[in-house]
Amino acid sequence: MKPPMETRNSAAPAIIVENVSKVYPRQPLLSFLRDRSYQVGTQALREISFQVREGETVGLLGPNGAGKTTLLKIICSLLYPSSGRVLVHGLDLVKESLKARSMMGLITCEDRSFYWRITGRQNLDFFATLYGIPRKKAAGRIEILLETLGLTYAADRPFHSYSSGMKQKLAIARGLLGDPRVVLYDEPTRSLDPLSTQNIHQWILANRADSPRTAHLIATNQLREAELLCDRVVIINRGVVIAHGTIGEIRQRFRTEQHVVHRIRFRGPRAALPQADFEHGLVEVGEEERDGDFVSIRAYTREGSEGLSAALSSILGNGGVVVECHTEEVAFDEVFCALVQRQYDESHAVAAGAKS
Amino acid sequence: MRLAWAFFKRDATIALSYRVSFVVQFIGKLAVLALFYFLSKTVGDKPLPMLARYGGDFLAFMLIGISLSDCVLVSLTSFATQIRDAQTTGTLEATLMSPVHLPTILLYSSLWDYFMTAVGFVFYLLGGAFLFGVKFHQFHFFAAVALFVLTITSFMGVGILWAGIVLLIKRGDAIRTVGGFVMVIMSGVFFPPSLFPSWMQPISRLIPLTDALEGMRLALLQGYGFYQLSDILIRLTLFATVLMVVGLLGFNWAVRIGKNVGSLTQY
Repeated sequence: MKPPMETRNSAAPAIIVENVSKVYPRQPLLSFLRDRSYQVGTQALREISFQVREGETVGLLGPNGAGKTTLLKIICSLLYPSSGRVLVHGLDLVKESLKARSMMGLITCEDRSFYWRITGRQNLDFFATLYGIPRKKAAGRIEILLETLGLTYAADRPFHSYSSGMKQKLAIARGLLGDPRVVLYDEPTRSLDPLSTQNIHQWILANRADSPRTAHLIATNQLREAELLCDRVVIINRGVVIAHGTIGEIRQRFRTEQHVVHRIRFRGPRAALPQADFEHGLVEVGEEERDGDFVSIRAYTREGSEGLSAALSSILGNGGVVVECHTEEVAFDEVFCALVQRQYDESHAVAAGAKS
Repeated sequence: MRLAWAFFKRDATIALSYRVSFVVQFIGKLAVLALFYFLSKTVGDKPLPMLARYGGDFLAFMLIGISLSDCVLVSLTSFATQIRDAQTTGTLEATLMSPVHLPTILLYSSLWDYFMTAVGFVFYLLGGAFLFGVKFHQFHFFAAVALFVLTITSFMGVGILWAGIVLLIKRGDAIRTVGGFVMVIMSGVFFPPSLFPSWMQPISRLIPLTDALEGMRLALLQGYGFYQLSDILIRLTLFATVLMVVGLLGFNWAVRIGKNVGSLTQY
């Protein structure tokens, strides 16, 4: 049994995901009544473990179909795990789901989770009652949230008249009504314009500062969002964790495993264009732009190798003049894509091996 | 109570926001009343021998039949409709995330429907009495209320069980329509079950609505009290207890399956 992934943060764990696997079971009766192809025997998650500590913001990343939604549904207690368990402040989500849910708030991008014919305030008032918040306290909390999110002017308008950004803000208000100790976000800025996205991000950051002990788990496909908001990320693909840690750590690990990228701009003849030199660690050279005599290239070298020297020597030795040279930080989306691709390649190789 | 009121207020606000639909449902009931009034004129003003047990008035007999069967059909369908609506509109997930038991959510979500059902029941009876001259000379109010509550509770159990089935199979409209139709025919909404062949009558007795209609007609048209209706009240109490327990157990089982197969919020 794998222990939940450790973090350096010494705060108490708010969410513990421990060896969670999910196989959608065969249901012959349901298959007969509904749909023969009904998710039979699909392994959606395999031994997922991680923790989110108090005051921490963790991003749950993964491509479409990776298992993020399944995992989030398990954490929301809308779905039972096949094995393993999820604890929220020590409470098992299967055995003590009501108590655990009272500590959680879900912020979803699904605007249809509101009642469209009633006003924003009436929606919030209804959900506040579901969370058992006393009437007076609820009214005050709703007022504060509406004001902080800039929705007071629209509070008594029907929800259907809200713009996408306003709907998303109301979803945030709903998620925070009960002053939760754990906030779950399901793609909080999906389908929002850049300005609304920025507003929501600023608001989440401000809220983190105001409630420093609240734990946040953000399931998102927006890598920029993860970089901006998250202390750590857990990347899953095909139901398994393929990377975890801070984005800096993952980037560094990837850089060490893969290559360092150098952007070089030079002036000179075509012959000056360097070629891959594996012996010296120059893994690949890609031409990016040619503007008259000026050429921009990206040179991929092994960490700690002489690859950059090899590239520069090739340029200078063939009559070129180096105008500019700098080492690029590997973009996180590049790391993400490479990690996902590598896992696909590995699983295909395993499958092919098993067949042969 | 505050939670129940929150659900009631939510549903009332939504229902009243569809003003035309809200008003038209009462016009529809008036049209049904008028239809049965003219049907009763076709049958004639003389008391019908086959309805002698209930006072012989065809319109009064029909009025109680359709008003109570309306209530029963709402009981049967309201929970499943609430679940299905919440699944399709997407509100189910948000409510399920709250620290409230799903059966409680289900029960409270139907309060408005039950309120409107009771209003409809009274509307039929008062409309019949004041607009079309139906006479309820000697009704027993408390016996009628007891019968109403037991009938609703019995079918509430079936309705909750049905909601559990809908949670899993999603679309059950066809089964519901056929089931409702068979029940309405078999229980004597439009004619007394004594008209059935002798082999069908015991089957008719297995449907709680048969007892409920019999009891309600006797309480409202003949003034039967608790003592005279004791057999019916006992049978309805048994039906209500058993069906409620079965309904809740079945619903919880369906929720467990839904949480296992991940179909709880799918539609």
